[in-house]
Amino acid sequence: MNLTLTPNKSAASPDTAANAPRRRRLTRLPRRGSMAVGLVIVTVLLVVAVGSMFWTPYDPDASGVGLPYQPPSAEHWFGTDRVGADVFSRTMAAAATDVGITLAAVLIALVVGTVVGAVSGFVGGAVDTVVMRFMEILQAFPALLLAMLMVAAVGPGTLNVIVVVSIVGIPNYVRLVRAEILSKKHWQFAEAARMVGNSRSRVLFRHLLPNSMTPVIGFSSVNASWVAVIVASLGFIGLGIEPGSAEWGSMISRGQDSILSGEWWISTFPGIAILVLSAAFYLIGDGLTESGEQR
Amino acid sequence: MSVALAEGNLLDVVDYRGGFRGPDGEVTEVLAGVSFGLRRSTLTAVVGETGSGKSLTALSVLGVQPRGFVRTGGRMLFDGEDLFAGGPRSFERVRGNRISLVFQDARAALNPVFTVGHQLIDVCRAHRRLGRKEAEQVVLDMLERVRIPDPLRRMRQYPHEFSGGMAQRVMLAMALVSEPELLVLDEPTTGLDVTIQADIMDLLVELISSSGLTACLITHDLGVVAQTCQDVVVMRSGTVREIATCEELFTAPRDEYTRDLLAASRLVEAR
Amino acid sequence: MSALFGRSRSVLSRLVGALVVVLGVVTLTFFLARVVSPDPTNLYVSPQADQATRDQVRAMMGLDKPVLEQYVTYLGQLVRGDLGTSFSTGQPVRDDLLSRLPATLELATYSLIIGTLVGVVVGIVGAVRRGGILDHTGRFVTVAGLALPQFFVGLMLLWIFFVVLGIAPGPVGRLPVGLVDPPQTTGFVVIDALLSGQWAVAGAALQQLALPLITLAFAIFAPIARTVRTAMLEALDADYVRTATAMGLPQRTIHYRYALKNVLLPVLTMLAGVIGFAFSGAVLVEGVFAWPGIGQYALDAIQQSDFAAIQGFVLYAAVLYVVVYLLLDLLYARVDPRVRL
Repeated sequence: MNLTLTPNKSAASPDTAANAPRRRRLTRLPRRGSMAVGLVIVTVLLVVAVGSMFWTPYDPDASGVGLPYQPPSAEHWFGTDRVGADVFSRTMAAAATDVGITLAAVLIALVVGTVVGAVSGFVGGAVDTVVMRFMEILQAFPALLLAMLMVAAVGPGTLNVIVVVSIVGIPNYVRLVRAEILSKKHWQFAEAARMVGNSRSRVLFRHLLPNSMTPVIGFSSVNASWVAVIVASLGFIGLGIEPGSAEWGSMISRGQDSILSGEWWISTFPGIAILVLSAAFYLIGDGLTESGEQR
Repeated sequence: MSVALAEGNLLDVVDYRGGFRGPDGEVTEVLAGVSFGLRRSTLTAVVGETGSGKSLTALSVLGVQPRGFVRTGGRMLFDGEDLFAGGPRSFERVRGNRISLVFQDARAALNPVFTVGHQLIDVCRAHRRLGRKEAEQVVLDMLERVRIPDPLRRMRQYPHEFSGGMAQRVMLAMALVSEPELLVLDEPTTGLDVTIQADIMDLLVELISSSGLTACLITHDLGVVAQTCQDVVVMRSGTVREIATCEELFTAPRDEYTRDLLAASRLVEAR
Repeated sequence: MSALFGRSRSVLSRLVGALVVVLGVVTLTFFLARVVSPDPTNLYVSPQADQATRDQVRAMMGLDKPVLEQYVTYLGQLVRGDLGTSFSTGQPVRDDLLSRLPATLELATYSLIIGTLVGVVVGIVGAVRRGGILDHTGRFVTVAGLALPQFFVGLMLLWIFFVVLGIAPGPVGRLPVGLVDPPQTTGFVVIDALLSGQWAVAGAALQQLALPLITLAFAIFAPIARTVRTAMLEALDADYVRTATAMGLPQRTIHYRYALKNVLLPVLTMLAGVIGFAFSGAVLVEGVFAWPGIGQYALDAIQQSDFAAIQGFVLYAAVLYVVVYLLLDLLYARVDPRVRL
């Protein structure tokens, strides 16, 4: 029987379909770009935060460095507030507070939540049940309200705010890590590691946990973005750090009444600062989550 | 060598090339000029190991290549018309209508949140001007033809309530309900139990031969090929190594790679 | 038969679980509140009052008893539906909450409807037109909505629309000063006013509602849009969408029926969280606009250490949370055939 076709290598001209990939590349660039933008912003804010400890145009805590209620000008870039303090200097100094508290709280929540979630998922049984019930109780509170309640209970102060805000975040990490551990507990590499004589804790912390951290790291950045907002919210209500020290939320609160009489700049600049910090963390988190999924 | 298209082929794949674009923007070619034809009313097998590009070629016939695949050249002549020439439109015209595709792992390929009947009726009505009741009847008949017991009850169930073999029958019914001319089968029995594989293949052969369909079976199972197919295309690393009738291939393989394949599957000695 | 039994047992265990959560929240709050305000008599008696008067008040309020005994007494009261009396308003907390609930419900309901609708549309359009201008714009607005504190959004809206443009009323609550509430039937001022034919009142109420509504809806829109977009992208990449495409189903059917129903699941989960937030957690939005709802009540209560009020509010929030998530479970089982209760 004759073959109807034989393999051949004739050249056919590529057509318009070859244009498609270029479009796809364009769509991917902004994603990577947005993560880079987020990283740059956080770095800049960190530099500002550290820098503000050494230099600000005016003393951020001093009143009367200018006339009260001065709109933005060459001398006072962000204007002055009710007591004549320089809003730009205060916004700078507040970066140290807000960025610092945010990073510290996320770090604590990340570490504590990861350990608790990992152990709970790995051990299982009654421990797991009790831990998860407790986490559910914490999550049954509206997040901001829980933070408000706890700060009201332990009193204001930088350290207290850090601890309180991290507690609000912990249940998310516990659930995330626990789910990861549960899904991998019976994977072959875990069983194999156990069979060759590794102790249980070694299997958990050396083998299972490192393989479960990708989504956790991605989430921690998203978590940082709403921690920044909660910290500012606490400051706004006056339940944040020590009264009087520079913090974006409490600065907005100070300018709240002035807004209604037209002095917008007192609240607006610290508000934009919160937006920038929080959005930067979102962009990083999105980027991390997406590259994690691609793997 | 010039392309000598045989008269009367239902589908001719001509020098089809493409690859995946890496992060650096470079295209890594995985199909390096694939050419073969499908004779009408014939079951043609495309065999090759994983990564030979056989599934990619099959998915391309319907324009449902995975995200990131880039075609760099070639033609796909269906009934004489180049599917690539008309843009996405020409694929839309033939998809599910004149060409149907049976996926591997039918349970994953069906929508988990709609009943099987719902999905079958949707496909049926997308291609045939039928009322709801009539479509239901057509689907019911089709389920009977693929030998699903108690089809009326089964229609109201969701994909997760089906075993792998039963789901593959549903998939087959879905592919056939629009009465296509060409049926592409992408490893339809992979992942099923051996006995069920045989059942499904028997059913397939029977349906194809009884309705005079043209079909293209993508598989790596030479045993199945020997029993069922008329023509065989052997692929490796994105190229076609040999095209032969089934008999020729198993009795007098010309390509070295084909001989290796046959030796590995121990079918030569068995015959 | 056994399936029926299994089902009712699992519903029962869920209810027990819900009860445990509510009890846990109440307990945690009780002891937190004790720390906040170990001796609230100062709120009741004048600073000049002598020790005898103080002791008398303490005894009257049961504060002289050990904490555990107070806790048991408190639980007993709760079971009888008694939430205690607010120090600052002097009213039973239950009455306070009930009288403030309509304002919160009105604001939250409208915001939820608008925020969710816009969020779903933006999320879907973003996913379907991935990488296009609409997608980028949507993502930009979404990130802003997630990153902006609501109180700041509220203040900025007030500045723009009240101070600068002068087209919105100031933050004085549900009705401008001088207008009388319409007769209450639904508790929603706008609807009540329409029902009683007071068009001017309805208009004024709508104007008062506009800015807080936009603020809250914006906060609801952002997480919804983000969830919808992610879920829709995932659905569009799924095997069943490829199957539907290969089977030649029209793109409209694939996007808006096949993919969308799968998107519903993650969106329902997100919606549950957002509902809990809108009906109880929008504390700062109510604060900025002097909206007389329960959020503002809670804010005042915390700032004044009014612990009966705090506990009452937290109980409300916890019950809400538990009910919403029970409903979510039920809905989930309806939408996803793979899930069984």
